[in-house]
Amino acid sequence: MVAPGALRVVRCGGSALRGARAVFSADSKYLLYVSGDFVKVYSVNTEETLRLMGGHADLVTGIQLNPHNHMQLYSCSLDGTIKLWDFMDGIPIKTFTVGTKLLALYTLASAEDSVFAVIPKKGERDTFQLVSVTLTKGAGQDLEGKELSVVLDGVGASMKHIAFGREVCSPSGFFFLLCSVGCTTKTKGGDNRFSCVVCHPKEDCIATGHADGKIRLWRNFHDKKEYTYSTLHWHHDIVMDLAFSIEGTRLLSGGVESVLVQWHNESSCQKDFLPRLGSPIEYISMSSDGDLCCTLHTDNRISIINSNLRFSRSIQGLIKSRDVKTGLVVDPRTKALVLNGEPGHLQFYSLQSDQQLFSLDIVQRQYIHQAGLKQSDLVKVAFSAQGTWLATVEESEEVTDPELQLKLWFYNEEIQSFELNTRINTPHDNHITDMCFRDMDELGDDSLILVTTGRDCVFKVWVMVEDTDPEGIILYWEICDFVGSYHNYQATNCCFSEDGSLLAVSFEETVTVWDSLTWDLKCTFCHPPGNIRNICFGRLTCSKYIIGATDYGFLCCWNLLTCALEWSAQLNVVVLQPDPLSEYIAAISWLSKESSLFVFKPNEPLPVYIQRNLCKDKILLAAFVPRDEPEITSSEKYPWLRKSQLFFLTDTQICETKILLTFFFKLAVEESLPVTPFSLLLGKHRHQQAQEDTDLGKLVVHNKQKQASPAVKELLHTPAHVLPSASFLCTIFINSLLISKEKKSAEEVADEVEMESEKAEDDSDEEDITAMEQEDTSHMELLGEMTCKLSKSQEKELRKIRKMDYSWISAL
Amino acid sequence: MGEFEVHRVRFFGLVPAGVRCLACHPRGSRLALARTDGAVEVYNFAANYFQEKVIPGHELRTVESLCWAAGDRLFGAGLSGDITEYDLSGLSAARGVDGGGGPIWSMVANSTGTQLAIGCEDGSVKIFQVVPGGIQFERNLDRRKGRVLCLSWHPSDTHIVAGSIDFFRVIDVTSGQTVQRIMVNHHVEKAKRECVVWAISLLSSGTVVSADSFGRVQFWDWEQGTLAESHTVSTSAALSLAVSEKEDSIIVGTSTGATYQLQLLPVTLGGQEKRWVRTKPFQFHSHDVRAVAHSPTALISGGLDAQLVIRPLMEKIQKKSYDAALRKFTFPHRRLVSCARKARLLLFQFSQYLELWRLGSTEETGKDGEVLPLCQMPEHLVQLKSKGPEHIYCSCVSPCGTWVGYSTASRFHLYRVHCDGDGVSLRKVPKVPKLLPPAYQLQFSADSDSLFVASARGSVHVFQLLEPGGCKHLHTLRPPSGCSEAVYLLAPSADGHWLAAVSGDWVSAVVPSVHCPLLQHHCTVPTYNCAVSALAIHPSTNNLVIAYSDQQLLEFSIPEKQYTSWSRAVQSRGLHRAWLERDSPITHITFNPKNPSHILLHDTYLLCVLDKSLPLPDDSTLLMNQSTLKQLPETARKRQLHAFKICKKFQPLLFMDLLDENCLVVVERPIMDFKTQLPLPVQQKKFGT
Repeated sequence: MVAPGALRVVRCGGSALRGARAVFSADSKYLLYVSGDFVKVYSVNTEETLRLMGGHADLVTGIQLNPHNHMQLYSCSLDGTIKLWDFMDGIPIKTFTVGTKLLALYTLASAEDSVFAVIPKKGERDTFQLVSVTLTKGAGQDLEGKELSVVLDGVGASMKHIAFGREVCSPSGFFFLLCSVGCTTKTKGGDNRFSCVVCHPKEDCIATGHADGKIRLWRNFHDKKEYTYSTLHWHHDIVMDLAFSIEGTRLLSGGVESVLVQWHNESSCQKDFLPRLGSPIEYISMSSDGDLCCTLHTDNRISIINSNLRFSRSIQGLIKSRDVKTGLVVDPRTKALVLNGEPGHLQFYSLQSDQQLFSLDIVQRQYIHQAGLKQSDLVKVAFSAQGTWLATVEESEEVTDPELQLKLWFYNEEIQSFELNTRINTPHDNHITDMCFRDMDELGDDSLILVTTGRDCVFKVWVMVEDTDPEGIILYWEICDFVGSYHNYQATNCCFSEDGSLLAVSFEETVTVWDSLTWDLKCTFCHPPGNIRNICFGRLTCSKYIIGATDYGFLCCWNLLTCALEWSAQLNVVVLQPDPLSEYIAAISWLSKESSLFVFKPNEPLPVYIQRNLCKDKILLAAFVPRDEPEITSSEKYPWLRKSQLFFLTDTQICETKILLTFFFKLAVEESLPVTPFSLLLGKHRHQQAQEDTDLGKLVVHNKQKQASPAVKELLHTPAHVLPSASFLCTIFINSLLISKEKKSAEEVADEVEMESEKAEDDSDEEDITAMEQEDTSHMELLGEMTCKLSKSQEKELRKIRKMDYSWISAL
Repeated sequence: MGEFEVHRVRFFGLVPAGVRCLACHPRGSRLALARTDGAVEVYNFAANYFQEKVIPGHELRTVESLCWAAGDRLFGAGLSGDITEYDLSGLSAARGVDGGGGPIWSMVANSTGTQLAIGCEDGSVKIFQVVPGGIQFERNLDRRKGRVLCLSWHPSDTHIVAGSIDFFRVIDVTSGQTVQRIMVNHHVEKAKRECVVWAISLLSSGTVVSADSFGRVQFWDWEQGTLAESHTVSTSAALSLAVSEKEDSIIVGTSTGATYQLQLLPVTLGGQEKRWVRTKPFQFHSHDVRAVAHSPTALISGGLDAQLVIRPLMEKIQKKSYDAALRKFTFPHRRLVSCARKARLLLFQFSQYLELWRLGSTEETGKDGEVLPLCQMPEHLVQLKSKGPEHIYCSCVSPCGTWVGYSTASRFHLYRVHCDGDGVSLRKVPKVPKLLPPAYQLQFSADSDSLFVASARGSVHVFQLLEPGGCKHLHTLRPPSGCSEAVYLLAPSADGHWLAAVSGDWVSAVVPSVHCPLLQHHCTVPTYNCAVSALAIHPSTNNLVIAYSDQQLLEFSIPEKQYTSWSRAVQSRGLHRAWLERDSPITHITFNPKNPSHILLHDTYLLCVLDKSLPLPDDSTLLMNQSTLKQLPETARKRQLHAFKICKKFQPLLFMDLLDENCLVVVERPIMDFKTQLPLPVQQKKFGT
């Protein structure tokens, strides 16, 4: 458990939905699928995600219904455990610890107390074996599952490479058909490597998919010589997965063509197609009554398909674009995260539901899947403050002479979608590097201007003009007369101050500040060597500061009033993200294979919060998403999380499979409270809740807390004179006391809280790291003192740096 | 190997006729094949699938169906309405018997081979009794409207199933009544197209298998009249069907050129229930597969692209050997080209005409592999059309180029070629002696003053050619003992003293030739169990070199009447495995006068110079080592040399001859050239086009 009061990273969405074949419940009412570390239960009828079953510490690699109890589900994970769930209630029943990575899971009705799993062979790389895991019967929840017996050696790692077929009970014993395909080497005739295997449910027939797009149906394979096969060929590229219907009369196949093919009676002439499924099919699974089947796609989508090959519904997760060029933008209207989706599309992704809200076609061109073809793709996105205007930049992949288009979209309330308003061809002569709106809520539409910076060494200003038309007044965008440039340097970033009066544009090593009314160059800042990577203005009380991060690992803060460097720190900042609702700015650094988070206020050279080793992967992008309601409880310690949540996106590459996994993370606060009678009450309440869903992940905990304790919160934060009568409050108290029966006593909890401590490093300078024990809960004053002391000790150094830097600037 | 100036001839526009029907001998040793031009060929499985017998076609005698009956008798029936028996020893068609029901579409023999059933245009099914010396009409079975396209006997001979357009019916043979009539497209809603039952088979279990023009193979229970299974194998028509003897495998030919195998397989391991499953597809043909046959170990198919494909079933073959190789035959195993060495003329034999060409010439010389420019283009001198409906059996041009002879089934023609300047005229030699037809092989002597005519019953006629254009029958050479088979190969010696002849049953006799006063039979080469595919007499040593269809090579000394020591050495040592495992037989042998130890051989795919002075290769060395030899230094090359020097540059090779010491002529017929002459195949959508 993480200490209460500490911040921790919660994986909260965007995980791959295609870790394993999805499973339909026995009555086909629910679809169970893997989403990263979780297993989700989806109601087929209501299209709602019912439950999120978390508890595995790593990716879930296989799920199978318990053949003896259709209300139970086995899941296996890379963390080496097999869990048995009651998926109707979302309760983990048992956990079997196997100890080695589990890569696939199979169950068999006739195998009473064992399941089959694929594990890596000890001592050998890239060799895997199929083992039968005996599931010991025991009373407790956590059991050992270490009794392994090897069934087959040298199997493929993918779950598609093994299939269990018909079971035969004969007097001499019990047999089952097991087939496994290996990856044979490429022969000269064609690439006929096996890609997947399935068994006919009723007959002795094996279907295999091949890399050359053929499906082979093997029969008579008991005979070493007289085995025979027939071929079904429609796919032009690798057959990704196959599935037989329950009676075996239909065979479904899918591949990169994004077409689901249904073969009847193993005949190559009778086949049906379901085309235009959007993206390559990775897994196919079929419900036990044959009514439904579902396909898992490479773009993180699950399609549910009727038995008559009608598309029914889909669950769209976060689409993993090859390269998120647009960055992570928050749609002010829906609070959804906006980023590159399918090629040429902009996806609006809701973190709350871990689903894509919608996808906006920006490029509006047919995407042709072909290697080496130059595609147009979306590279920049900007929203105006209210979300009424959306600016997008698309460019073709050609490096030398990009074909650029700037599009401006207006949100149409009637159709609840963005409509294309203006299209500007070749807004710049070279790549556009940044774009921002001047967004002032109070000034109205007239103040709305757009600034684009380009590698053609200029920044351009775009304004909205009105024109009268027979049909009425139409608005469109046009270039303003002003085109700014600075010493013929490439413009890299731009940013407006909060009130919109100042525009900061960085030109390679220099930050220039312009008056947005007169377009005069006000001042320049510089921190050589190194180009400016990011700039942003401070907000609210810190609006006189401008922050910049350079390539050579400096984070600088300049004072706009004195035109001087306020402070600077050596930090390799990859992401610099200001909170739009507060003065806090988050900087994420990447150094020696770990990402660290620093949150600071521009007016103070010391960070407010430091989290080292936030995660192992490189954080690509981050965004503050405004909360619907300001959070109060955690605000004492983490004021910067009061109004917004910080989300960030990492990019994990698993070497073997070369699948890009992207996750969204969120920083969540484990709250700690002062020890008061109320807090005891609350703590008890919370603790019990946390126990209830120990493994359900932070997100759920959060939601439940919100729902469960409004009354108590109300009580705590309402002045006494406006409180209702005690008789009214009584029931709430009693209710909260009733549930906490078999839990630890309140005192124990409190003690635990006090005992917990966390290590925090609080030095902005990477060179001298001073780790500091920091008592969390009851020693707030002490913490304050120490912070002061430390800042004093640092001030000298900072002053030195400031002097040095200043001389650099003056030299320029 | 020696360097040659090669005339690479590609103007022989041979288009082999498509395969119309196939009939496997019940004992599986022979395969009869009929082509669309009416020619009938017999292939011997035992002799390495050698094309043993060829009976040239006849314009009026198309063959729709062939069957073996009463042992080794071969019957054919066609749209002329006649049933013809083929005289396989005399290589001719006997007089036909009129079926009496209009054009005959199909004919099958019963399991004992005593009765033939024919299906006629008028919808009748007639039964003929096979009697010694011919066939006899026995009875008519129930006649229904609609032509009978295919027939099949029940293995117990009690019923016949007859396929027509849109339906098939089952006829009781004893009563002659139709006991069941089944509409094949009954369940197809409002099928406007008619459904032609192209092929049908009645299995011993009472299952009727039909192949129809909708591309379906359907299994019917004839007693109930119900459809048991239906397999749509193709989008176009399924044209032919053959069932294995064990009735567990079926081969189906379709009009797209694909053939499919269907197998009767158990549904589950050890289960009793069995089902027909379409298993392997094969795409060997580009055009309609009109005929298929199922031998115990192989699937045989013949298509309109003139290919005969024998695809062995790997699982039925005990050990992986040469038998397991796929074979394709497109060109005949005979020579259709003859060459006048001195005059540099080539005579091409087509089914109904001959073409005489003069080779081009060059004055340039060049290095190995260079293409020399021609100073005189090859010239088409004359086309000689055969009169009458009969096809040409054989043809020959004399070495001096002044005589051309050819023979049809009934007549033998001899022409005198007059070259006056640029013009060439042919004059028919009058009063050619009437022979007992037909002539199977013609051969002029090396000095062009006599002509040998191979004839039936093992006899060879010798003609003397007289200037300025006449001929005289000199002599008839007869085999030592009574012989029924025809002579199909002749080889005169260069000095004119010897003549070797090959007949079907005795292997090879050597007869002293015209100049020898005795004109008697000299000796017989010991019998060998394979057919002779080519033979020639060495010009200086008078050794007879014989190539057999199983790729064996023997050298027989005529004066000594025994095999030469080299031949014995070859036999004891054995030939290289790669040599023995070739597909096509040697079709011509010639010698290099400059180098007496060299023998030049060729088959369809390779040209070989056999150097008797060099050691024979063993199985561990590479047989085709010319390209590796080229890279080796001189000394190492010496060690690597072996007797077989093989060139695969010219393919497919129809003819090769040595014009003089360092000049070769090769006649190629590139497959693509010949494919373009065929009608367009069935249009198929091909992915990516």
